[in-house]
Amino acid sequence: MTRHWQRRDNDAKRLSTICYHRGVRRGRILAIKWGMNPNSSSLGVDVTFLLVGATVLAAVTPVIGALLRWRRPAPAEPAAAVPAGRSHGEPA
Amino acid sequence: MTLGALGRLAIRSWDAARGAADRLRDAHRHPPRRARLERFGAIVQLTVPRALVFVDRALARRAVAIAGEPAGDPAIWASPETAVGDAPLSAPLEAHLQLTNRCDAGCRGCYTGASPDGARGEWGLAEWMRAIDELAAAGVFHVALGGGESAVLPWLGELADHARRRGIVPNLTTSGLAGLDRLVAIAGRFGQINVSLDGLGPTYARVRGFDGFARADAAIRALRRVKREVGINVVVTRDNFAELDRLFAYAAERRLSEVELLRFKPSGRGARAYDELRCSDAQHRALLPSVLAAARRHAIRVKVDCSYTPMLAHHRPDRALLAELCVYGCTGGDFLVGAKPGGQLTACSFAAPPPAAPESPDAARPRITELRGYWDTPGAFGAFRRWRDAREPCASCEYHALCRGGCKVVSAHVSGDPAAPDPECPRVIDHARGGRGNDRVRLRVVS
Repeated sequence: MTRHWQRRDNDAKRLSTICYHRGVRRGRILAIKWGMNPNSSSLGVDVTFLLVGATVLAAVTPVIGALLRWRRPAPAEPAAAVPAGRSHGEPA
Repeated sequence: MTLGALGRLAIRSWDAARGAADRLRDAHRHPPRRARLERFGAIVQLTVPRALVFVDRALARRAVAIAGEPAGDPAIWASPETAVGDAPLSAPLEAHLQLTNRCDAGCRGCYTGASPDGARGEWGLAEWMRAIDELAAAGVFHVALGGGESAVLPWLGELADHARRRGIVPNLTTSGLAGLDRLVAIAGRFGQINVSLDGLGPTYARVRGFDGFARADAAIRALRRVKREVGINVVVTRDNFAELDRLFAYAAERRLSEVELLRFKPSGRGARAYDELRCSDAQHRALLPSVLAAARRHAIRVKVDCSYTPMLAHHRPDRALLAELCVYGCTGGDFLVGAKPGGQLTACSFAAPPPAAPESPDAARPRITELRGYWDTPGAFGAFRRWRDAREPCASCEYHALCRGGCKVVSAHVSGDPAAPDPECPRVIDHARGGRGNDRVRLRVVS
């Protein structure tokens, strides 16, 4: 039996459709890692959303997007993460 | 929905609201790092709700103040925009610091092989503070502090304070078996504290080799009295698998914030106990439906560790949804790094420290204080970053870009090759049995 969290596989086009405003691309949320990981041996990810599926995530994501747009821009640190001209983070 | 379920939901909502208020107060006192630029755009940290949000460049231009780049885009955006996962991040999201290997518990499955004497050459407060400084300079958001039993360290609170001052949120795992009084006094300095609890009553003893449940339970209650973000870490073994629902019920009864499920790894003393304690294939295939049902029944959040991604993929969840939830398999040397008690940098806590450079294996191994210098070294973190060079059945798996071949520590233990497909992955098992590895099933999760 297919469950709601198994139905969609559309490369996240859904999120991009909600992020345009008056023809101007306003950007997209690519992923959200919920909570914090206290486990010092591996990376824990919250899978509770698999219970409610993409529908609820689709409702939450615009709220997060609005929060990011409306609040004062967050300072990026470190300011210069990569020296100019340096190949950064290429797959090894 | 029954009255009982509604009541549980109301209690959860109340705890969440109070926790959010506490976090806002803490964030005002010690502001955490708020954003970091990446090739795909940026990662923005939210305190309420507690999340790391990955955004593309267009949204990053609105949500992030980019200092020193008035004339155009920052240098990191000079190359074409990528997708999350196309290349390693500019720095880890979090670092797992094994502050000590001292612990008196002697658990038979301990992945670090901790002992009362600890490891040789363990770092002290000054060295770990320098490590925090390096992580802050690299752009790390969180640290997970562990051991051994790090709660016995007299300077643990001071290190947590230092992390906060540098914009890093410290989180902690403890057995709850030692150092409790000191830990309760400093619990508020941590973002999230989880207590290791691998079973209730006699099951705890069966998994760990001694009866420590009462002490762990007392620690959980004591910590929960002073802090809302307290959860449990459960190493899932064939002995406690059938008890998972009861563990969720226990967590709900104690009003804990989460249950985090960890796969048993053949590392440290765990290597000897692996055959006896690891879950069966049938248990792995049943994991996702079982834990989601328990999470729903007891209204509690559930996390699973990165090594469980093959077991999630077995149920064919929507790949886009997994990506949006940041559910990846092995992200050692990318989303996370580890450090041994002497500061040796590792891709993850279970992995051996890599050589400084692949062409000079005898060179001194890098320390966590040298993270930025090592991060972009060609060949850094070895097999952990070569996951794209996959063999079958991983190479043709539609989830490979997320799963990245499963847990390399398990692969290394079973086959001697960390780059081999995860031998406990259901698809790999089906493939070895002569199938094509496409025998995934869609189980009913929520009835």
